[in-house]
Amino acid sequence: MSKKKFSVNGTFKDSVNTIKFLTERKKFIDSTEAVLPTRTDDFGVNKVAKSLHPKQQKLVISKIEEHGNLAKSYYFKGETELAYFKAGQYLTFKLGIGNSVVTRSYSIASSPASALNGEYQITVKRIADGFVSDYILDNWSVGDEVIAFAPEGNMTYCSLRDAENIVAIAGGSGITPFLSLARAIDQGDEDCALTLLYGCRTSDEILFKEELDSLSEKNEKINVVYVLSHSDEEGYEKGFVGADIIKKYAPSEVYSIFVCGPGGMYKFLETELPKLEKERKYIRFEVFSSGKKAEESKEFNITVINRGNESVIKANSNETVLCAFERAGIEVPARCHTGECGFCRSKLVSGKVYIPEGEDKRRIADMQFNFIHPCCSYPESDLVIRIN
Amino acid sequence: MVKNYDAVVIGAGNGGLVASARLAKEGKKTLLIERHNLPGGFATSFVRGRFEFEASLHELCGIGSITGKSPLLKIFREVGAADKIEWVALDEAYRLLTLDEKENCDYLMPLGKDAFINKLEEYDPGSSVVVKKIFELIESIEKTLDFVSNIEDFKPEMIKEIFSEHTAFLKVANYSVDEVLKAFGTSQKTRDILNGYWCYLGQPTDELNVIHYFTMLHSYIIDGAVIPKGRSHQISTALLEAFTENGGDAWFNTSVKKIKMENGKATGVILDDGTEINAKAVICNASPYNAFTKLMDEKDVPEKFKKEVNAKTLGAKGFAVFLGLNRSADELGLNNHTYFIYPTNDNRKCYELSKRLETNDVQATVCLNRAFDDCSPEGTSILYMTSIFAGDEWSKVSAKDYHKTKTAFAEKMIDNFEKATGVKIKDYIEEIEISTPMTYARYTDAPAGTIYGYEASKDDGIVKRIVFDLIDKGIPGLYFAGGYTTRHMGYSPSYTTGDMAAKAAVLAMEKEAK
Repeated sequence: MSKKKFSVNGTFKDSVNTIKFLTERKKFIDSTEAVLPTRTDDFGVNKVAKSLHPKQQKLVISKIEEHGNLAKSYYFKGETELAYFKAGQYLTFKLGIGNSVVTRSYSIASSPASALNGEYQITVKRIADGFVSDYILDNWSVGDEVIAFAPEGNMTYCSLRDAENIVAIAGGSGITPFLSLARAIDQGDEDCALTLLYGCRTSDEILFKEELDSLSEKNEKINVVYVLSHSDEEGYEKGFVGADIIKKYAPSEVYSIFVCGPGGMYKFLETELPKLEKERKYIRFEVFSSGKKAEESKEFNITVINRGNESVIKANSNETVLCAFERAGIEVPARCHTGECGFCRSKLVSGKVYIPEGEDKRRIADMQFNFIHPCCSYPESDLVIRIN
Repeated sequence: MVKNYDAVVIGAGNGGLVASARLAKEGKKTLLIERHNLPGGFATSFVRGRFEFEASLHELCGIGSITGKSPLLKIFREVGAADKIEWVALDEAYRLLTLDEKENCDYLMPLGKDAFINKLEEYDPGSSVVVKKIFELIESIEKTLDFVSNIEDFKPEMIKEIFSEHTAFLKVANYSVDEVLKAFGTSQKTRDILNGYWCYLGQPTDELNVIHYFTMLHSYIIDGAVIPKGRSHQISTALLEAFTENGGDAWFNTSVKKIKMENGKATGVILDDGTEINAKAVICNASPYNAFTKLMDEKDVPEKFKKEVNAKTLGAKGFAVFLGLNRSADELGLNNHTYFIYPTNDNRKCYELSKRLETNDVQATVCLNRAFDDCSPEGTSILYMTSIFAGDEWSKVSAKDYHKTKTAFAEKMIDNFEKATGVKIKDYIEEIEISTPMTYARYTDAPAGTIYGYEASKDDGIVKRIVFDLIDKGIPGLYFAGGYTTRHMGYSPSYTTGDMAAKAAVLAMEKEAK
């Protein structure tokens, strides 16, 4: 090329400019003081990031409300404001029960605004063989301090994705995320309309009826319909929430369906929702683990590698790998327990696991390199797992 | 508890991963520490519904799908990660659009030198004569850089060689992109098209160093760009696998509290649980910004580094919208892989406008299906849009306003995309995720949510950084890798500086042993 002829401002000026290069840099550094700039943690961005996603939150139980013998609502206070969230998200609690260290998630029932006032509410229902729920219901008292992680979860309203009208289908204690949503709508923090189809066995089992009725009464964006499966009572729909009831109460405009409830309800909806011929984008489920069909249980050993230390624990083929960790008191950063959040991602160094269909939400490369989500993986042989 | 290693690496970002893999390959007993539960830092992916989204990578240069000149692939091969990654080559450089209707700007540029020059000739007839000369300069600069970077043993006569054989480099070394392109007598249109990539460096071309920009043009347009099929998470995990296969230890969910300093030398780290790690070398993939303001006691930070960290300006803060669409790219008319959509072709103006939420309209958007269609289920597509903010506007946003602010800005980006391309996407959003400076602060501890390291300003461009890095002595035992170091930010530079840091550490250990 004609590189010898090319110049920007003439050969002389170009040379001077290149030499300036050395002096300019020194001037640039020397012109400032030898003082450290704003600390990373002091930027507004980093402060808000930390307030939205604290490593963990210390909560004190401030009030317990009993819902007959069915469930209890726990109210928590934080030292300062608590992590803000979107209605529909859950809190994961860390508990030490005997020698076990367990995590369990509960949808937040209180409104996002209440978090800014330093309060959360969750509701825990008594279920058969509920290891952790039994513990909570029988042990947590006012004044106790508990540990929760930051709010997580994706069953939240997004105006860019969802229809402005939400038809929420709740079953039992699955009402809590929608109670939070109804409260948020009423407080002006969400701008969608909510038709809540709340399925219970009998009217006695309806949680928060008074508040739901009052919200529905005073706010035209909120409409609540109770659907009873096991009793025929006046003023209530009878049966299970299915396509017919949805069609009857859904608005004429386009709407999104959000679902949160027990496994039986999900199974029923699996055959009902397709009748509505809705696009997949308009149906969102709070993720839930269907678990594994119980079979004759086999016992395996899991060698757990944690920061270079090895330990061997027992595992059962009918329980998840995470369950084995919890039982052995091995703390892992688990949150959702449904395979979705990926917090518990660990390396399966050797051995074989079973992952139920539809619960494998791993990344492509994680499958390639044999990383698993222990919360939805069941041992099928002895395993070696590196958790950290 | 106290543990001893040859080297400890702080952070499993791109720089930390390559550094770790190199150290393990060289037989050094190495511990890699990462505060998050995943490797990669920015180089990661996440799943929403039936979509797996790439978190940050648009295209990877340095792998050289066209010319085969591949400094990165060489590193990946040497450390044992190359055969674990599946690459897809791209043929399109970018489609450049502006929202200013008067500019009537819509240029689709291919990768490959000749194809690029020919296409530019179509858009701006008569331009090819001068553009060919520009590419000759780009190639000549590359030769100089190759010469310099291959110097293993410096001899004085090399200076003579630089002054006789590398005059073009020396002439332009301290000029901006605009100054040099204007000196070539280019038309405004040619400059607009050639400057399309400016947002990848985040600096307006009236200030951005020409060598920096031309090096990037070389690696993208002449050498070619690729994308990993398993998202950037595949690269990150492959590097981690190579590292552990070679005997490295990696601890996740673990934070470094302090870098241990003794007599002005880095001697290891202290972890959040009090564990002490002694090491001959500390490779820091945390930014020097965080190292000096968080990980070291102020008394241990030498004055000149205080000055340096104070003088530099934090680069662009990131914002991204990830869309899983329930129609195929064909059905929607998403015909291109990379869209650059700017408010105007005046990139100085774009940069100034990008300081505020109300006025920032810069976006670089990728339709991953145009790299490989099976990246999402049949009948769907993936689109991700990235914007950059100069300044620290997001620090004004409170937790309470956070969700509304990010949703509103994401909506503006979607509207701008629809307006610029004429493609309708809004009704087809099945999954959406939005990341903000707060997201980057959360996952990488980036100051103010910075994704571009330090600004490549006139006084802190990479050529100056590299030259002064050779002259200045750093803190003994402490080696920085990643986007805040000499090569500026980005995937390729971060991998490269990770390798450089590891090699420097190995060299120092060998010297010490003698």
